[in-house]
Amino acid sequence: MSAGTILQFVLDILSLGSLYALMALGLVIVYGILKLVNFAYGELIMVAGYTLYLLNASPFPWLVMALAAILMAIAIGLMTEFVAFKPVRSKSVTAVLITSFAFSTLLQNAALLFISPRARNVPLPDIFTQSVEILDVVIPIRNLITIACALLMLGAFSFVMKRTVLGLALRAAASQFTMARMVGIPANMIISLAFAISGLFAGVVAILWLGRIGSVVPGIGLEPLLVAFIATVIGGMRSLLGAVVGGYLLALIDVSFNYGLSQQLLHFRDAFTFTIVILILLFRPSGLIKGRETGLRT
Amino acid sequence: MRITLKMSFLSILSVMVMVPLAVSSSFAADEIFIGGALSLTGVQAPLDEPGLKGAQVAVKYLNDHGGILGKQVKFVNIDGKSDPVTVGNAAVELIDKGASLIVAPCDFDFGGPASREAQKVGIVGISTCASDPLYSSWSLGDKQFTLSMWNTTMGAAGAEYAFNERGWKTAYVVTDQFIAYTKSLSKYFVAHFKTLGGNVLAEETYTQGDQDFSAQLSRLKAIKPQPDVIYISSYMPDLGTIIRSIREVGITSPIMGGDSYDDPGLFEALGEKFGSDIYFVTHTWMGSEAHPDMGKFIEAYRAYHGSPPDTSFVATGWDTIMLMAQAAEIAGSLDGAAIAKVLETKEFSLLTGKLSYRSAKEGHAPDKAAVLIGLSNGKPAFIGWRQPKNPPAP
Repeated sequence: MSAGTILQFVLDILSLGSLYALMALGLVIVYGILKLVNFAYGELIMVAGYTLYLLNASPFPWLVMALAAILMAIAIGLMTEFVAFKPVRSKSVTAVLITSFAFSTLLQNAALLFISPRARNVPLPDIFTQSVEILDVVIPIRNLITIACALLMLGAFSFVMKRTVLGLALRAAASQFTMARMVGIPANMIISLAFAISGLFAGVVAILWLGRIGSVVPGIGLEPLLVAFIATVIGGMRSLLGAVVGGYLLALIDVSFNYGLSQQLLHFRDAFTFTIVILILLFRPSGLIKGRETGLRT
Repeated sequence: MRITLKMSFLSILSVMVMVPLAVSSSFAADEIFIGGALSLTGVQAPLDEPGLKGAQVAVKYLNDHGGILGKQVKFVNIDGKSDPVTVGNAAVELIDKGASLIVAPCDFDFGGPASREAQKVGIVGISTCASDPLYSSWSLGDKQFTLSMWNTTMGAAGAEYAFNERGWKTAYVVTDQFIAYTKSLSKYFVAHFKTLGGNVLAEETYTQGDQDFSAQLSRLKAIKPQPDVIYISSYMPDLGTIIRSIREVGITSPIMGGDSYDDPGLFEALGEKFGSDIYFVTHTWMGSEAHPDMGKFIEAYRAYHGSPPDTSFVATGWDTIMLMAQAAEIAGSLDGAAIAKVLETKEFSLLTGKLSYRSAKEGHAPDKAAVLIGLSNGKPAFIGWRQPKNPPAP
């Protein structure tokens, strides 16, 4: 293998892994506090995509459109909490499971009915379609942006979690929710905040993910939801670091198989991927990174 | 495996999809009732929704011009929700309400159940655009048809254009493992390309939903010399990702594919920068070059829906209804066997090309020409009608 091939292999894993890690983190931040999976998470990505599509004709520069799309994802994230979680979250897991699915279906069908079931294109800046040549390998600049963006987001997120009062409150709520309330952390605000952060991650993921695809369809959120779910399961549902590790690991597994398997076996790549996932879970049932024991569901 | 997971997710979702459209039971004896089980929600919606819109325009047109056999036409569609069981149930409900013809969804997996129910009660069912050769009288029964050419024709028409007309001798083929359609299309392209004397340098696999073509791309780049043509059988939105990835790294070889390319969403996603030297085989073209009546259809469509068609798939819905109308007029009745006989023996001139079916013994194989479209600077242009000489056997 030449140095170029190795560089490409590493960059492929890093750029895909960065996306997966961000997707997983957005899902696990809500799970950490509520111990509930937000199945409408993928739709936040869809909503951001359609916001970009609808702003396509507007005179604003692309960065403003992207910002609007991310804000929209945050807004819908908060709305998910308000519509699907808040009214039933103290009742039963099943109820929330159903309401979050229902909200996801509602959003998907809204896109289907009011826009179109067919793909709609999203505006992208020129830099997303350019590429650079390093060591005889052509690398799309978008992949480098993805990696840089993820590092920035992860760094900022880790700073907020470790060094600010907000982060402390979030961590406290995640580990012992009732205790956190007793010492005066406003529960509803913390939960809303978690949904807002989840929306922020979804919004950024949407920009980078749709940057690869170039168009948005109503079902676009399914794959990111699935990826985020698997990544958090192998990384550890209780740990934020676990979600990031899980994301990069899943990308490593997928990309390695894509490179390494022969064509006949490549048809069954997902079977190989999930075999590894099962093996990981056999040896580490609660994921690679265990995280602290937490209190009951809130 | 990911697909099955996806499908199960989808089926969970589809259970919760909105309340079905209520079918009004006001069905008068002086009306002809055509039932549709097209999916307006779920994965099948992108293909079925345009078909439904085209069918609605056709029904309006027929009613304005005397209906079928002198009777007004009533068309009701029940959302099949991209779920084979729901599609079957929708067909049963429509038949119970008195439907004498069934419009089936645009895919074997989703459309098959509607056709099977139609076959059970001996009425004709026509799928708007299922192109897998599984959609045949062999598997569904002697009164079932698909309006679309089979993938045998779609793949072969592409191969003949590449090899005979353009002189492309070597091909690189990407197959998306998504559904029967994506798998069989490239199979027939490869078979016919080899028969003609072409050389397939490599066959590559892609998994729908990945949105990552990097590993395949590194193998493609390693091929020296580069293939004359790249054939990609995939589906939106991943199709856009694959083509963009290939063009992004500076590979300029021509790219070819089937009717899944026929989507303005793809043209826009590729834009001026990447949307060149791309050719695909599809059902028709929204211009008078394809059919003299196309302008009339587009006008009627605009009058009915308020905006021009956003994809040429709308013509498959119009054609399905018009084919039913023409066959019923010639047969002089709504009897399933009589209409099926007419469909087997006559030739029909449709917006999607001249169409005649083989006998039920020969699977109701459609003898149909295909349209070739070229994409240049993100703008599609009509190349012409093509009918491959000896498409591979299914």
